[in-house]
Amino acid sequence: MDERFSGFGAIILYTITAGMMLFILAPLLLVMAVSVSDSYFVTFPPQGFTLKWYAKVLQDRDFLEAMRLSILLALGTTAGSLLFGVPAAFALVRGRFFGLAAIKGFLLSPLIFPALVTGLALLQVLTKLGSQDARLNLLIGHVVVTSPYVIRTVVTSLQLVDENLEDAARTLGANRLTTFWRVTLPQIASGVAAGGLFAFMVSFDNYPVTMWLANSEYSPVPLVLMRQLVNVFDPSVPAMSTIIILMAMVGVLLLEKLVGLRRALAA
Amino acid sequence: MTTSDDAVAVLGVQAPPATRRASRWRLALPVGLLAVPMLAFLTYFFFYPALGLLLSSIQTQDSRGIIGRPFTLAHYARLVNVELYARVLWTTLRISIVTSVLATVLAYPVALVMVKSRPMVTRIITLIVIAPLIVSVVVRGYGWQLVLQNGPKGMLNWILMTLHIVDAPISVLYTEAAVVIGSLHVFYPMMVLPLASALGKIDPNLEDAARMLGAPWWKVFLRVTLPLSMPGFVAGFTLVFSLTAGSFVIPAILGGASAVMLGNLIEQQIFVVYDWPFGAAIAVVLVGLVLAVNGVSMWLLEGRRLRRAE
Repeated sequence: MDERFSGFGAIILYTITAGMMLFILAPLLLVMAVSVSDSYFVTFPPQGFTLKWYAKVLQDRDFLEAMRLSILLALGTTAGSLLFGVPAAFALVRGRFFGLAAIKGFLLSPLIFPALVTGLALLQVLTKLGSQDARLNLLIGHVVVTSPYVIRTVVTSLQLVDENLEDAARTLGANRLTTFWRVTLPQIASGVAAGGLFAFMVSFDNYPVTMWLANSEYSPVPLVLMRQLVNVFDPSVPAMSTIIILMAMVGVLLLEKLVGLRRALAA
Repeated sequence: MTTSDDAVAVLGVQAPPATRRASRWRLALPVGLLAVPMLAFLTYFFFYPALGLLLSSIQTQDSRGIIGRPFTLAHYARLVNVELYARVLWTTLRISIVTSVLATVLAYPVALVMVKSRPMVTRIITLIVIAPLIVSVVVRGYGWQLVLQNGPKGMLNWILMTLHIVDAPISVLYTEAAVVIGSLHVFYPMMVLPLASALGKIDPNLEDAARMLGAPWWKVFLRVTLPLSMPGFVAGFTLVFSLTAGSFVIPAILGGASAVMLGNLIEQQIFVVYDWPFGAAIAVVLVGLVLAVNGVSMWLLEGRRLRRAE
């Protein structure tokens, strides 16, 4: 492979790497394999081949309702976190004001705070406010946990913007809005899109905040799936899971296309 | 262009001629104000609720469920003194530490291969490491439930018995080991990514020099690569520890009654027992734990930077 690795060291490295790849993929592949298994209980090794569990899932009202709710919630969350997050990122990169570092730390702090506690604390305040609509409560909670991701990705891409181009546009008579729209935005578009996609995916999969704010009428996908795990033992649960895995894969590929995965995550 | 100009506009100082025409159209507001909506939102829905929770944790709940005076530290004392709850605290610490250590040991080889291989190999490994990160934690927990299933029908047991490694099925599901395995799977990327980024920044000449001077591969690793990758290790360890300590789904799916963690205890106190002050106290302890680890890690990273600067 590479001359840097040779002999015994190389064997250890590649064995562990291969083992870890298997470790990462095994549970996901197993879920997918079982989802087409032609038996009434989930067993190993999977038997036969059928798509009837998918047919069953696609007629399951609870699951479809949850899917609809989760997608709408994720869309709303994306819009909300972009609306708040993009201007905030601008302020953090372009602003020169007192306490900038502290404010940046504060805006990103939901990232290190255990999300479970964020949700619980929010539930207490929303209950006191008498906010009964679970959909609105979920939207607020999800924007709290997703906006730092948007801020982080947009800050990274703003730092790469060539300010000379903006100066040129302004010198040539473009006003601030035009300059932003025609010069700055095209340069940060992929960062904004990645942040939005991130917000969508984090919202769609979120459990620790959702579990506090949802109710029996409005339960997003992760909660419905968790309930099914306990109550249903046929391969419709793996079928639901596979649908979620495939949706995630689409998201990953989009993200890779937009900004490259390593950059998007390690920003 | 932005801030200095804004200051100019705000103070009414004469702008340089080149920008005067543009400045007629522009709002004379500092760009920093753009952060105000986000700040207000997070203050109201994140910071203020967190303080509220902290306050509840030292208050008393009466028989009607109203939380108020007198102030007390009894809830914290209960968490430490009642054996049932103290055990949950220790379980959480144990699982978080074991998971972080295992993640470190298993992430170094993969991160090394990721950084030093050909671009194609790097790309595939990156994709495999990252892809599951975006799959719902519930799905991943469920996957491990299927793999570890107790009894002969579970995948692990089937493999072990087919290969005649064991004669009777082993029981891994609903133990701490299962929670560690699941948490490792969920948070492993959080260790690999910072490590790979730190390893990628090491000047390969340093390792080459050590090798040319006759150091065997393990000595090169211990004396050159390992110390230089410390920032990535500290960042990764902090992330994995914090996320594991605060998890709920994985212990709920894989741990059952024998590996209850702080997150599960909080949920139980709020939704089943309706004891808000005690639930809040446990949450505060969890936050304290996570903030302490983050603080130590920041201190380590800062100290390193300062020492270098000297």
